[in-house]
Amino acid sequence: MRLETIVLQNLTRRLGRTAFLLIGLMIGVTTVVTLLSLSDALSRRAQHELERFGANIVVTPKKDQLELSYGGIQLGPLQLAHKEIDEAQLAGIQQIPNYRNLATIAPKVLGAVALADEQVMLMGVEPRAEFKLKRWWTLQGRQPENPAEVVAGSAVAERYNLRLGQEVELSGRNFTLVGLLNKTGSQDDHLLIAPLPTAQSLLHKEGQISMVELAALCHDCPVEEMAAQLRSVLPDADVNPVQQVVKTRMHALGQFRLLVWGIALTVIAIGALLVFITMMGAISERTREIGIYRAIGYRRSHILRLVLAEAGIVSAFAGVLGYLVGVAATWGILPLLDDGSAHWSWNPVLASGAIGAAVVVGLLATLQPAFRASRLEPSAALKSL
Amino acid sequence: MGASGSGKSTLLNTLGGLAAPSEGKILIDGIDIYRLSAERQADFRREYIGFVFQSHNLMPYLTAQENVMLPLVVTGLTAKQKRSMAAEMLERVGLGHRLLHLPSQLSGGEQERVAIARALVNQPPVLLADEPTGSLDTATSRQIMELLAEFHREGQTIVMVSHNPDNRIWFDRILTLSDGAIVADSAVGDQVANF
Repeated sequence: MRLETIVLQNLTRRLGRTAFLLIGLMIGVTTVVTLLSLSDALSRRAQHELERFGANIVVTPKKDQLELSYGGIQLGPLQLAHKEIDEAQLAGIQQIPNYRNLATIAPKVLGAVALADEQVMLMGVEPRAEFKLKRWWTLQGRQPENPAEVVAGSAVAERYNLRLGQEVELSGRNFTLVGLLNKTGSQDDHLLIAPLPTAQSLLHKEGQISMVELAALCHDCPVEEMAAQLRSVLPDADVNPVQQVVKTRMHALGQFRLLVWGIALTVIAIGALLVFITMMGAISERTREIGIYRAIGYRRSHILRLVLAEAGIVSAFAGVLGYLVGVAATWGILPLLDDGSAHWSWNPVLASGAIGAAVVVGLLATLQPAFRASRLEPSAALKSL
Repeated sequence: MGASGSGKSTLLNTLGGLAAPSEGKILIDGIDIYRLSAERQADFRREYIGFVFQSHNLMPYLTAQENVMLPLVVTGLTAKQKRSMAAEMLERVGLGHRLLHLPSQLSGGEQERVAIARALVNQPPVLLADEPTGSLDTATSRQIMELLAEFHREGQTIVMVSHNPDNRIWFDRILTLSDGAIVADSAVGDQVANF
């Protein structure tokens, strides 16, 4: 038999008090684990959504002068020497180190086509990538699936009284209108949208790209670094990270995490207080016992070890159980807070952190009661005999 | 011996290194107990003194054998040695068949025997017993006193506190206390106080 055996026997044969301490600490650990797991899952989900929701890097042809326009209002001439990006150069994007962080690459070509004797802006896109990037687009009908199909923005459809399924003549070639974009309130309302090769052909811009929008999916978004990588493979293009989007995303997520950590720390403090009060109570209740241990030759350090080992064992168990219950709670709660697309994922740092923190908090909160117990004078403790 | 409050338990605690005397010193085997550090005093108690307290004071969550092993836990003995010494001592006090029973499963007399076994398992030179029969019926008290007498016959020094005059027949020397002072000592021919 060792000191630890005494502790285990005490814990297993005084189940009531052990269970009280264990459940109290476990609730604390469960709460913290659940909060952090939920925050982690929802953050990742939110981040994923944010990152998919619009581009955060825009690639445009190099310009010879600054643009004098804002919000569609032109205050000066367009750049004098405008040239497109060579489509062949886009293959280089696949060579950048962070290529796997690019969720969407949406190249497009822009130009004017003739519709009913007027000029209309035509945008050639890769429909799947474009609609994935612009999740706010809603459509009556469907995306273009073959080269002779187009989609019209709401303003264009209204102006030319276009209907789904209608034949449309653009610069002398016939197309079927397969989709109508609902009003977006942006420049997109004024567009006709066609598959990229079709638009390039109509605009006589074969092999040319007017701009590329990219959505970078990355945990901490090294967007500047990715932009630098893109510049190295697209020497004829301006690569502009959309800093404001990234900063806003990170700020929102940071605030959320801060709130969760605030709650978690409060729960940890309450847990520590619970352990402290319980252990203080246990020491008072066991004064007589401690007196006997001291009388039969236990040193102060032995008493210290007895009390701390007890707290350490209970805290470790509470940590393990709390983590498991926290994970189960996260599984149960996540679908209620989300549409089901956020997922719990195994986080070894959280697992080891929860158990480690439970033990550390348990031991720290027991230090004072343990010292108090070890300093009990045997004669004083035995007065209650 | 002496009435309640006469200082019997205080004397025992002082002899056992649990409470320092306000004046004078306690020498056991030539060692001045209270000049030792607190930790060394604990070691001294473990090596030199066996305590039997009033009302047994066994650990309720430990079996009889585990209770007896308690003084051995903080020694360098192996687990096997501790188990066998505790079992042997319980056998000596007639409880070889109750090793794995918890105190709550033992009678008062049996609990007292476990307490005696615990006090003697590490073979201390001195056994201090504070009214070990105080809570027992007459028949059980007699059994316990016979057990202690048996240990004494084998050479065990026992200092026992009692307020029961019937126990006088077991003692070699009787100090009678009153208000914290020795009022009679049978070894020097004084009369034992009649109480």
